[in-house]
Amino acid sequence: MTAPLLSVRNVSVSFGGVKVLDGVNLDVQPGEIRGLIGPNGAGKTTMLNVISGIHAPNIGDILLDGVSIVGRKPNEIARLGLGRTFQTSQLFRGMTVLENLMTGLHHRTSAGLVAAAFNLRGYREEEEAAEEEARLALEFVGMSAFADRPGSALSFGQQRVIEIARTLIGAPKVVLLDEPAVGLSLNRLAEFDTLLRRIRDEKGVTLILIEHVIRLVMDVCDQVTVLSSGRQIAEGPPDAVRNDSQVIEAYLGKELRARHSAS
Amino acid sequence: MTLFGRRNVLMVLALTAAIAPSFVNDYYLFVANTILIYVLLSIGLNILLGYTGQLAFANAAMFGIGAYATGLLQVRVGWPFWLAFPSGALIATAVGLAISLPALRLRGLYLAVSTLAFAQFTQWVFLNWESVTYGAGGFKTPPISFAPLPVSKQAGLYYLTLILVVVLYVLAQNAVRSRIGRAFIAVRDSEIAAQSLGVDLLRYKALAFGISGFYAGVAGGLYSALLNFVSPEGYDLFQMVLQKAMVVVGGLGSIVGSLLGAGAIITALEALRTVKGLQEIAFGAILLGFILFMPNGIIGALKAKVRGWEEPVHRSRRRNSPPGPAAVTTPRSEVRP
Amino acid sequence: MILLTYLLLSGLTTGSLYALIALGIVVVNKSTGVINFAHGELFMFSGLLAWTLHVQLGVSYLPSLAIAVVLGFALGVATNLIAFRPIKNADVVSLVLATIGLAFVVRGAARVIWGGKGDYLSFPPITSPDPISFGEIMVIPQQIAVLAGAIVIMLVFAAFFRLTRAGKMMQAAADNAKASKLVGIRVDRIYMLSFGTGAAIAAAAAVLMAPLTLLYPDMGFSFFIKGFAAAVLGGLTSLPGAVLGGFCIGVIEALAGGYINSSFMEVSAFIVIMFVLVVRPTGLLGLKGMRRI
Repeated sequence: MTAPLLSVRNVSVSFGGVKVLDGVNLDVQPGEIRGLIGPNGAGKTTMLNVISGIHAPNIGDILLDGVSIVGRKPNEIARLGLGRTFQTSQLFRGMTVLENLMTGLHHRTSAGLVAAAFNLRGYREEEEAAEEEARLALEFVGMSAFADRPGSALSFGQQRVIEIARTLIGAPKVVLLDEPAVGLSLNRLAEFDTLLRRIRDEKGVTLILIEHVIRLVMDVCDQVTVLSSGRQIAEGPPDAVRNDSQVIEAYLGKELRARHSAS
Repeated sequence: MTLFGRRNVLMVLALTAAIAPSFVNDYYLFVANTILIYVLLSIGLNILLGYTGQLAFANAAMFGIGAYATGLLQVRVGWPFWLAFPSGALIATAVGLAISLPALRLRGLYLAVSTLAFAQFTQWVFLNWESVTYGAGGFKTPPISFAPLPVSKQAGLYYLTLILVVVLYVLAQNAVRSRIGRAFIAVRDSEIAAQSLGVDLLRYKALAFGISGFYAGVAGGLYSALLNFVSPEGYDLFQMVLQKAMVVVGGLGSIVGSLLGAGAIITALEALRTVKGLQEIAFGAILLGFILFMPNGIIGALKAKVRGWEEPVHRSRRRNSPPGPAAVTTPRSEVRP
Repeated sequence: MILLTYLLLSGLTTGSLYALIALGIVVVNKSTGVINFAHGELFMFSGLLAWTLHVQLGVSYLPSLAIAVVLGFALGVATNLIAFRPIKNADVVSLVLATIGLAFVVRGAARVIWGGKGDYLSFPPITSPDPISFGEIMVIPQQIAVLAGAIVIMLVFAAFFRLTRAGKMMQAAADNAKASKLVGIRVDRIYMLSFGTGAAIAAAAAVLMAPLTLLYPDMGFSFFIKGFAAAVLGGLTSLPGAVLGGFCIGVIEALAGGYINSSFMEVSAFIVIMFVLVVRPTGLLGLKGMRRI
C-alpha cells in the first residue's frame, strides 16, 4: 500500500462541550474516490470543515501529501492542493461563469496591484493564459456555452457543476465535495457519475464526497467511510458497508435492526 | 458600433472637462472641481463597499484625515503644498490600513460599529485637540501657487484634480478587472468560497481599506486646497451619507458608476442649496429610493438599455459571443444618448 | 468619594437611557438580523412629538408618554414597511443603507417641523428642580425619576417578552425563523412587531429623558450610536447584555468625564467599543448560551 494522500489521524472536535467528532481516522489513497456517509448530525460537514481549515481540531493531526495542515488558514491549505465545494451554492453571483473560473486560478496567478493597475505586460500575459485555461475548464464540464452568463442566472444543478470546475482549475490534489448531487435530476445523475470518474481519471484528482444519494455513492466510490454521532463506525468497499449491521442501526435505529436480523 | 458606449461617452466627458475652464465662470469651475474630488471619494468607497462588500463607515474620516494632514503639514510644519499633499494622502492610506487591522476580524454589523466609532473618534480629535487642529473653528490653509505655469490658482487646481481623477480612474478600472478585483468580489459574494480558492481574506480586505484610504486622502488634500480652509464640519455624518448616496446612486460595484453618482449627487446638492432644510430629506429619500427601486443604480439602467457599458471583471480578447439575453433583445432604437 | 457617588449616579441615569435604546436595537436585530440605523431618529422624533403634546397642546406628562409610545410604535411599523419589508432578502449592506436613508429623511422632517440647527426645545421638569440631599450627597430628583422610570420600562418589556403570546412568538422567530414559519408564525408580522416594539421602547426613553435635558433634531444619532455601542458590548442579540452594556457605557462616560477631562465624555464610549471589539469581536456577552433571556 502506498502512502495515503490525505491522512486524518485521531481527530476530535467539540463545540461548546459537545463532541462533534470523536477520534476519527481517515486514510485516502491517491486516485481514490472516497464516500463519506452517515445520518444527519453525524459530523460529516464538520469533517470537511476541519480538513479544509475552517475549524481547528481540538486534538489530532491531518496530513496532506505528508505535510501537516493543522492550524493553517483555509487559503493556505488551498494553496497546498486542497479544493472543496459547499453544501449550498457559493458561486460568486456578481461575476460571470468565466470570471468565476478565473477566480479559481487565484492562487496559481501572482500579478500584484501595481502590475494590474498599470496593465503591465507580464500581467496581461498571465490574464490571457488564465482566460484560456478557464475556457478549457468550461469545456471539460461541457458548459462552454455558459461562459458569459452571470453566476446568478444558472440553475442550481449548473451552479454545482461550475463550482466543481472552479475548484478543479486550481489544480488541487484532493477535492472535498459536500453533497454535490443535491438538486440534480435523475437523468443528470448518470452524467454526474461519469463526470466524477473523469475528474479522477483525466485530472488525476482524488475525491472525497459527502452524499445522501446512496446510488451515487455505491456507483462511484471505491471506499466508503460511515460516520455516526462523530464516530467512525464502518469503513470499506460500498457493498461491505451496505450490509454492516452497525451502519444499518445508525441509519434506521435499533428496532429495525432487530427486524432486519430476524428476517 | 457602440456610439454611446462607455468609452466614447467618457472621452467626450473628459474633453469637455478639459476645455471647461475657458468658458465657465468661477462658480461653475468650483462646482466642477468639487464633483471631481467626490469622484475620487466615491471610487475609493465603492472599492471597499461595492466591490469588497465591507460595511465600513470610516470614509468621511479618511477624507478628513487627508485634508487635515495636508493642511496642518503646511501650516504647522511649514511644508509646501507639493510635499504636504502627497504626505497627507499617504497618512490617510496608513490610517486606513491601521484601522483595517482590527476591523479585519470583524464582519458586517460589528465592522460597522467599530468603523463608526473610529469616525466619531476622529471627529472628536479634530474638535478637541486644539493645540494641533485649531478645534471647532478650523484653520485657513495657505493659497497654493502654480508659479512657473501660466494658470490661475482656480484653473491650476482644477487641472491638477482632473489629471489625478483621470489617472486614478484608469488605475482603479484596471485593478478591478484583474485577479485583484475578482478577489474583492469573491470576498463580497462568499468569504468561505473565496478562502477555499486560496484568497487571503485579511490581505484583500486590508488592500481594499488601503485603496479607499488613499483615494479619500488624495481627495481630502485637494479639498483643503480648493476651500483654502479645513474644519471638522466638512467631515461629519452628513459627509458620510453623501458619499454612501453617491455610490448607491451610481451603482455599487462599478467604477464608472462612482463617477456618475458623484456627478448626480453634487449637482443635486447645488440645486438644493437654496432650500437647505430639505437637503437632508432629499438625500435620505434619494438613498432610500435607489435602494428600494433601483438597487443597481444609474449604471444598472445604462447597462440594461445601452450597449457598451458592460464592465466585465476580466479583459477578454474575444468578444465573439453576445454578453447576455438583454443585449440581444434590446433594439437599437432604444439606445439613447 | 462624593464625586464618585455623584458620577456613578449620573452615569447610571444616562446609562439607563442608553440601555433602553440598546434594547430597542437588539429587539430588531434579534428577529431580523439587521440594525435599524433610523432607531435614534425614531427616538428623537417621538420625543419631539411628546414635546408638542405636552408643551404646545397642554396634555399632561403621563398621557403624553403613553401617546408618544403608541406613536413611536407606529413609526417603527412604518420603518419596517418602508425600509425593511420590500427588501428583506437583500444583503445586509443594502438593508443598513436603506435605514440610513430613512434616518436622514426623519431628521430633515424634524428640522422642518421643529426648527433648524441649534434650536433646542425644553421640557418642563416633572419633579421639583431642587436637589435633595442624602447626607453629603446631593441628588436631583429628576435623575432618580429617570432611573426608576427606565427600570419600570425594562420590567414591563421583560414581562411582555416572557408572558404574552406576541412576545413569545418574537422570541421563537428570533431563535429560528424557518422553524417558526413551519409552526405557523407569520414571520413578516413578527418583523413588524419587532420594529414597532423597538421604537416604542425608544419613544418611552425619549419622553423619560426629555425633562432632564433638551430636545433637538440632531440628538438622535448620538444616542443611537451610544445605544448601538451598548448593544454590541452586550453581544447584539442578548437583551440582558444590552441593558448591561447601556449601564456600562453610561458609567464609563461619566467617570471619564469626571476624572479625566469633560471632553473625554463624548469619546470614551467609542474608545471602549473599539477596544472591546479588538479583544472580543463578539461583545462581552456574545456567547451562544446567553442568547435566551
